[in-house]
Amino acid sequence: MRKNGFDLKQNAGRAMMLGFAIFTLLPIVWAIILSFRPASHLFEPIWSSPTVLTWDNFGTLARSDFPFALLNSLVTAGGATILAMLIGVPAGFALAKGRSHRKFIASWMLLLLRMAPPVGFVIPLFLLYLNIGLIDTWFGLIAAYMVLTLPLVVWSSWTSMAQVPNELIEASLLDGATLFQTFWKIVLPAARPGVVATAVLAFLIAWNDFFFALIITRSDTVTAPVAIMNFVSYATVDWGSIALASIALTLPTVPVIIFANKYIVQSLGGAVKG
Amino acid sequence: MGVQTLFQRGYNRMLLPAVVAVGVFAILPLVGMIGLAFTDFHLIKGWRGEWGLHNFMRMTQDRRFLASINVMLFLSVFGVLFQVTMGTLVAVGLEKIVPKWRFMRGIFVVPFVVPAVAVALIWLSLFTPTLSPINAFFDIFGITVPAFLTSEYGAIFAIVIADTWASFPFVMLLILAALQGISSDLEEAASIDGATKMQVFWRITLPLLKPALLMVALFRFIETLKHFPLIFIMTNGGPGRTTQATNYYAYIQTFQSSKVSYGAAIAVFLFAIAAVISFYVARANARITDA
Repeated sequence: MRKNGFDLKQNAGRAMMLGFAIFTLLPIVWAIILSFRPASHLFEPIWSSPTVLTWDNFGTLARSDFPFALLNSLVTAGGATILAMLIGVPAGFALAKGRSHRKFIASWMLLLLRMAPPVGFVIPLFLLYLNIGLIDTWFGLIAAYMVLTLPLVVWSSWTSMAQVPNELIEASLLDGATLFQTFWKIVLPAARPGVVATAVLAFLIAWNDFFFALIITRSDTVTAPVAIMNFVSYATVDWGSIALASIALTLPTVPVIIFANKYIVQSLGGAVKG
Repeated sequence: MGVQTLFQRGYNRMLLPAVVAVGVFAILPLVGMIGLAFTDFHLIKGWRGEWGLHNFMRMTQDRRFLASINVMLFLSVFGVLFQVTMGTLVAVGLEKIVPKWRFMRGIFVVPFVVPAVAVALIWLSLFTPTLSPINAFFDIFGITVPAFLTSEYGAIFAIVIADTWASFPFVMLLILAALQGISSDLEEAASIDGATKMQVFWRITLPLLKPALLMVALFRFIETLKHFPLIFIMTNGGPGRTTQATNYYAYIQTFQSSKVSYGAAIAVFLFAIAAVISFYVARANARITDA
C-alpha cells in the first residue's frame, strides 16, 4: 500500500517535470522549425507538411543587413566588456580587500545602478549625444553600455575576490611584491573562475541589450537585436528570417550554458563578503 | 588586516578609475535626468526656461500614468509569482523528485541565455493564432484557443508567460545552489522521526529556503519593473493602452510625444523606487556579512 501511494506521487512529480520540460523546449523547437519553413507554408501546421523545408531563409538573412548588425553587436558588446573589466576588476579587488569606511555606500550605489531603470540614463545620454555627435557611433554605444556592465563587474569581482584568503595576499606583500603585482599574479589567478564568469555575464548583458541600441543607434552601428525588427514591417512579417535571426542571436551566448554553474549564480545573486 | 592597511593608498589608486567612470557614465546622466525632470524641455519645441515641480504635479493627475503603475505592478506581481513558483518546483524536482534526471538541468537552463528580443519574437509567433502550432494543435480537437494579444488581460498574461519562460531558469539556478547548501541532516532526522516526504518539504526544506526565495523574488521584482522589449515587440503597449507599464510609458512620453522633461520625471519616480529597494538590499547584505 505504502509503496503504491509513493509511486503515485513519484509519477505526479515526473509528469510535472515533463510538463515543464515541454514548456521550456516548445519555443526553441518551434523557432528551429520556423527558420526552415518557406514563406508559402508558414501558416499551415508543421505536421500537415513536415517535409516542406527550405534553406532560403539563410540566403535572405545573409543578404540582409543582419550579418553587419551582428558585427556591430560583437564590437560594442566586446568593447563594453573589455572596458568594464579593465576598470571594474581592480576596483572590485580594492573594495574586497582594502579598508574603507564607505563600503556600504559603494554597495548601495552598485545595487542602485543595477536596479535603476535604463530609460532614466537614456534620456540625458540621448540629448548629450545629439549635441556632441555621438549618436550612431561605436564609442557612444560602448560608453552607454558602461551603465549596464560596470556595476555588475565591480559587484561580482568584489564577491569573488573577497573569497581569496587574506593570508595569501599578506604573504605576497611581505615578500616585497607591490599591491598591483599581488593583484595580477596572486589574486587574479585565484579568483579566475569568478572573473571569467563576470566577463561572460557582462558580455551577455551588453549583447542582449535592445533599449540603448534602439535609442542611440541609427543605421551605421545598429546592433543585431534592433536589426531583427527590420524583418517586421506593416505589410509582411518575415517569420522565417526572424526565427533564424533569433537563433543566430542566441548562439554566441551558448557558452554561458557551459559556464552556467555556481560562478554565474554567485555573480548574479551573491552577497558581498569581507 | 595588518600589512594590507599599509597599502591603502594602492587600493585607493585601483579604485579611482571606477569611481571616475561611474561618475562620468552613471552619475552625470542621473544628474541630467533629475535636472530635466524639474524643467520643461520638449524635443521639438525646445526649452522655455520654466523650473519647478509641474511635471510631478502633472503625474498625480495623469490617468495614463496612474494606470501604468497598475500595469507595472500586475506584470511584476504575477511575473514574480509564476517565475519563483516554477523555478522552485523545477529546482526541487531536479534535486529531490527525479534526481536521475539531472541531465534535464541543461534543458531548463536554455531560456536563460536567449536574448529578450528573441524571447519576445518567438512568443509573439506562438501567440499569433494563424501561425501558432498551439492553436493548430487544439484545432484538431475542435478547441479554439483565444487570441491572447488582442484582449486586455490576455495581452498582459502573454507578457507574463513569455517572461516566466525566460526567467524561471534564473530562479532555478539560485534555488538549486541554495538546496545544495542545505545540510541533509535535518531532513534525514525528520524522516527518521516518521515525517512524510511532503511534511519534510513543507516543514524543513521550504523554511530553510526562505532567505534564498526572498532574495530571488526581490531580484526578479526589480527586473520586472524594467520590462521593455517584451512590451515593445509583443503588444506595443496595446491593445489600447492596457500593457503600457510605467517604464514603457516614460519611453512613449519622451521619444514618441517628445515630452522629454515629463518622461524624465517619470524616470525619477522609477529611480526613487529602485533607490529605496536597493538601500534595503544593501543593508540586509551588510548585516549578513558583518555577522
